[in-house]
Amino acid sequence: MARGPHENPSHLRLVSESAPHDPARDNGPGITPKARDVDWAILMAHAQDGDSDAYLRLLQETTPYLRSLAQRWYHEPQDIEDAVQDIFLTVHAIRHTYDPARPFGPWLVAIASRRLVDRLRHRGRRKAHEAPLTTEHETFIGTGTNLEEEPDRKGLVAAIDRLPPKQRQAISLLKLKEMSLKEAAKVSGMSIVSLKVATHRALKNLRKMLTDGKDT
Amino acid sequence: MIKTSDLVSSLARDLPPVRRLRPPLVRAGCWLMLAAAILALLAVAQGLRPDLARCLDDPAFVTGLAASLLTGILAAVAAFLVSLPDRSRLWLLLPLPALVIWLSNTGYQCLSQWVSVGPDGISSGEAARCFATLVLTSLPLSLVMLVMLRHAAPLRPRIVTVTGSLSVAALTASALSLFHALDATMMILMWNLGTAIIFVALGGVFSRRMFRWVAPRAPTISQ
Repeated sequence: MARGPHENPSHLRLVSESAPHDPARDNGPGITPKARDVDWAILMAHAQDGDSDAYLRLLQETTPYLRSLAQRWYHEPQDIEDAVQDIFLTVHAIRHTYDPARPFGPWLVAIASRRLVDRLRHRGRRKAHEAPLTTEHETFIGTGTNLEEEPDRKGLVAAIDRLPPKQRQAISLLKLKEMSLKEAAKVSGMSIVSLKVATHRALKNLRKMLTDGKDT
Repeated sequence: MIKTSDLVSSLARDLPPVRRLRPPLVRAGCWLMLAAAILALLAVAQGLRPDLARCLDDPAFVTGLAASLLTGILAAVAAFLVSLPDRSRLWLLLPLPALVIWLSNTGYQCLSQWVSVGPDGISSGEAARCFATLVLTSLPLSLVMLVMLRHAAPLRPRIVTVTGSLSVAALTASALSLFHALDATMMILMWNLGTAIIFVALGGVFSRRMFRWVAPRAPTISQ
């Protein structure tokens, strides 16, 4: 993106004799931009009356022109096509606002630059909330890669081993194997209430053991 | 992802004829006629303020009323013009002089004759009637303008809504000063400036959302 999205797009002009990508040349050497504008205005007026052929011709003739406009803002061919299609959809939705007594070019360029600026703004806003997914993120999520947790894990396993058998069983079923209370009750043969009590006491004991271990 | 040539041919297929918009000045005139009709109906229903004749002798009152009416009219014209894609944005400056006169006149009046509470105190009945006038004037005008300017949704939604809201606010404030005797400065400030600020702010904040209700439907493509 070479330009900021908030810049005034007033440099977009339909009539630009010296533009490097002047699509007027695509229409043949004899056609001046002014004649082309009149052509397009007539086609649009017919399209407003429901002439499909005129509308098709108009959209096809304006496509390379809109593409060259979009090229000033986007580099990816996919983005350029998206922008051109967005402009066409807007033109289609508000084609009744065109007044055939006025030139067609400024009407089209105003809509085009509006859509292009809006799309850039939207994109900038979205980018502000996004972060690229790097290999670092994958490393943190993968369990095998988190080597630094090993010492903590060893201490925790040792502390759990030191718990009384009932509490150890409750912790292993409910917290390590992540069973529900019902499932754990079935497996262990303990009641739900005693499982809850055992877990509570186990956590309390663990907290004590681990913090004591750190303090000393 | 649809190809551009396919999109073009699908848009052109079975193209229904559309009715062209009338010139913006004509459309603004229609809307202003609706506003005049609403004000006239309110005048019949609620009656003008009892001391209107005396007020009309007061140059400050007449200036303020004329300026607020003019702001409403010019802002409506500007909104209808700017809602079209190929009109210059400089039209937005059209209501500015009238707006400056209206606001400075209100401000000057308030500074020079500050009456914090009227002779009979602030009566809640009058405030309620003021509020009724406010809603009865602004609501239909806002809705009609929103529908009339719906084609501006993909173009300049915010600035068009703000200008339209300014027009509604100015006309509403004119209605209030025509129909209600506002003796306390606070009331004048509230009903003039307050209305204007509230409408313009609401317009600015909710412009896109409001237009989404009435916007011409275009099939959206993924970005």
